[in-house]
Amino acid sequence: MAYRVLIVDDSPAMRTFVRRVIDMSGFEMSSCFEASNGGEALDLLRHEWVDAILTDINMPEMDGQEFLRRLSEDEILRSIPAIVISTDATTHRIAVMTSLGARGYVTKPFLPETLRAELERTLGVPCG
Amino acid sequence: MFFAETLGEASGADQAEDSPHGTIAVELAFEGEPSGSMCLRLTADAAREIAADFLGMEGAEISINQISEVVRELANMICGSVLSRVESAATFRLGVPRIVTAGEECAASLWNTCYRVQLSHGRLTVKIGAGTTECPQPAQPAY
Repeated sequence: MAYRVLIVDDSPAMRTFVRRVIDMSGFEMSSCFEASNGGEALDLLRHEWVDAILTDINMPEMDGQEFLRRLSEDEILRSIPAIVISTDATTHRIAVMTSLGARGYVTKPFLPETLRAELERTLGVPCG
Repeated sequence: MFFAETLGEASGADQAEDSPHGTIAVELAFEGEPSGSMCLRLTADAAREIAADFLGMEGAEISINQISEVVRELANMICGSVLSRVESAATFRLGVPRIVTAGEECAASLWNTCYRVQLSHGRLTVKIGAGTTECPQPAQPAY
């Protein structure tokens, strides 16, 4: 099965990089969508279904925390697993994002296999 | 994550490569316990090599804006990674990485730590100073 993934990051370079790393990892992705902040992502999710969301925290207009909060309040969108990708690996930040509904957390820098493993874990992809 | 090859710690003898000329530098302030700032400086060839590796492009295809964006992202990652290790149970806030223009030095003068890495196409220098700089109040703090 191939998955539809949404990457939310205000840096075009980072979005390009995450997309590239997913490809490198061997994770089966059928479609990849991009948004530069939480608000843009919510707009996109009104007309495109995705299987997983990869989101940064710091973004203009609507940051990752607010984005996750809005997702958790939506009866339909809350079912989409969201994984945070951030440089902040402090226990405090991880706890905050998890409490807002993040199902996974990947700290930068990361390896392709790390991102793949986190995607497969949150999507419930069987091992092997 | 960045796929540039490192050739080990560089000698500090060649200070010319740390000068503002022929290099690109990014300054990044942080708030936490302690507060301070970080300066990342790359030789131009090293910056282009890293940007090309990061974006999966040929070096000749990379624009200055793309190089700047990748170097800012690299500074963000290095600083966040260091602070997460130092302050894993605390909170910190990163400022917005700022490109230091040609001929300009990074602002903070009291560097506590300096680390130089030799890359296949140049050199990367990271300086971190604590307790000397207040983090500016950006519209969007970086994490």
